[in-house]
Amino acid sequence: MLNYIWGGLIIFSLVFALVYDIRDFATDTYRNGQPLPVTMTFPDGYQAGERRQNVEVRLDPEGYGVFYGTNERPAAVYDGVLIQTADGRQLRFAEDASVPEPLATIRSFTSSRDNDLRGTVGGFAVQPGISQASGTVLFNPVRWVKLNAIAGAALDFAETAVTIALSLIGGIALWMGLLQIAGASGILYALIRVTQPLIRPLFPEIPKDHPAFGMIVLNLTANMLGLGNAATPLGIKAMQELQTLNTTEDTATNPMVMLLAMNTASVQIVPPVLLVAIMGLQINQLFFSILITTTLSLIVAIVSTKLLGRLKRYRDTDPNRPSQNEPASEGNPSTEAPE
Amino acid sequence: MEILRLIIDYVSAFVLPTIIVGFPLYGLYKKVPVYEVFVEGAKEGFNVAVMIIPYLIAILFAIGMFRASGALDFMMEGLRPVLALIGIPAEVIPMGIIRPLTGSGSAAIVLDMIGEFGEDSILVKMAATMFGSTETTFYVIAVYFGAVNVKKTRHAVPAGLLADFFAMFAAVYVVILLFG
Repeated sequence: MLNYIWGGLIIFSLVFALVYDIRDFATDTYRNGQPLPVTMTFPDGYQAGERRQNVEVRLDPEGYGVFYGTNERPAAVYDGVLIQTADGRQLRFAEDASVPEPLATIRSFTSSRDNDLRGTVGGFAVQPGISQASGTVLFNPVRWVKLNAIAGAALDFAETAVTIALSLIGGIALWMGLLQIAGASGILYALIRVTQPLIRPLFPEIPKDHPAFGMIVLNLTANMLGLGNAATPLGIKAMQELQTLNTTEDTATNPMVMLLAMNTASVQIVPPVLLVAIMGLQINQLFFSILITTTLSLIVAIVSTKLLGRLKRYRDTDPNRPSQNEPASEGNPSTEAPE
Repeated sequence: MEILRLIIDYVSAFVLPTIIVGFPLYGLYKKVPVYEVFVEGAKEGFNVAVMIIPYLIAILFAIGMFRASGALDFMMEGLRPVLALIGIPAEVIPMGIIRPLTGSGSAAIVLDMIGEFGEDSILVKMAATMFGSTETTFYVIAVYFGAVNVKKTRHAVPAGLLADFFAMFAAVYVVILLFG
């Protein structure tokens, strides 16, 4: 299933990007090659010899809407700089100015590094000393915006993935160390004996008193208390314990799938830190709606894992199925896996 | 009910310090060479994190491309009439789609919605409830299975997505029930 979803995400990205870009092409969204009428005001009067001088740029709101065929309207005035270059005069809008669409896209596409919208000035009849002049600005052509965007996003996110994984090192190491102590000192076994009766029904394939139970309980508890940073390393440790019971190297066992499903449904009694940060005090109102929803979705996760596990295609791929030849026994193939 | 929440708040504040201090303390009491044992266990941290990298890259770059392509807008338009039939407001659909894919993306959506509809609006409550009640399914799958090199995930994805899908509806109805 993951193969299809993954492939689907990539293929659909390309398809949708192409659709958007061809639509832009057909409707000429960015008016490539057509100059936009602007009015410039020179606060200190126009100086002919000056290489760069400050200007105020005004765009006619109605004219802008007609020109780009949009409902977006520009602000009353923008700060800018008029620069004299060898190829003519260039107008640069102030960095990070809040320009409307499609200018914002044009800016991010043509000047992503400095984030200042820039275009070539034309049609200005300026004489030294005048304070205002009308003319046009021609921006660099913008094409294949979405295609460039998906390629950029692919690289960005590949980098992000590495950053995320490396940022987990500390947390994982800390918890692996603590859990090693817990195992050596026997706390883990005390924990397992207490909690085993509660969660064993969900993981019937795990042998009695196996350390995996301890990790699973710690992982689920951390999740419940909204301790995401601790939950991930504990979940990883639980997966490693479950992997020791796996007869294959690369195929998920039933307990692994159950642990995964329970984690994705996430039993969160305490809301995640990120949400608290966003919502502030409002989060208090949502305590019960989140609690009810998360409990319901956990039940759905558990039930659907159990039911899906009975489908033939998933029974046949179960690494711990009783035998390669005879059909799996009814319900759960309870296997006391060899050491 | 207020009391219950207060208790949970306190428990969640104390549980981490208790474990972090308690485990080594109990180890000392049991005459375990705690320092040596800790370091022995912690060694694994780096390898596990490095092992996760390819899985995380595979998942995240595909999701990043999908988001950047504008496919979401298309999906929303397609799903809007279908979901409207069962009472799901169109404004919360992006949240339902993005939630299993990325955590930061869904946080951005909640922020946008607060800006657009105000903190008190029922739509924001629905979106925030969705955010709070499920996890980033594909991230969890990449990290957990990546850490043990499991590539064939069997029914983990469908089960996780079923739960997410259900949580979207549940969030809408529960919020209507509580605040509507």
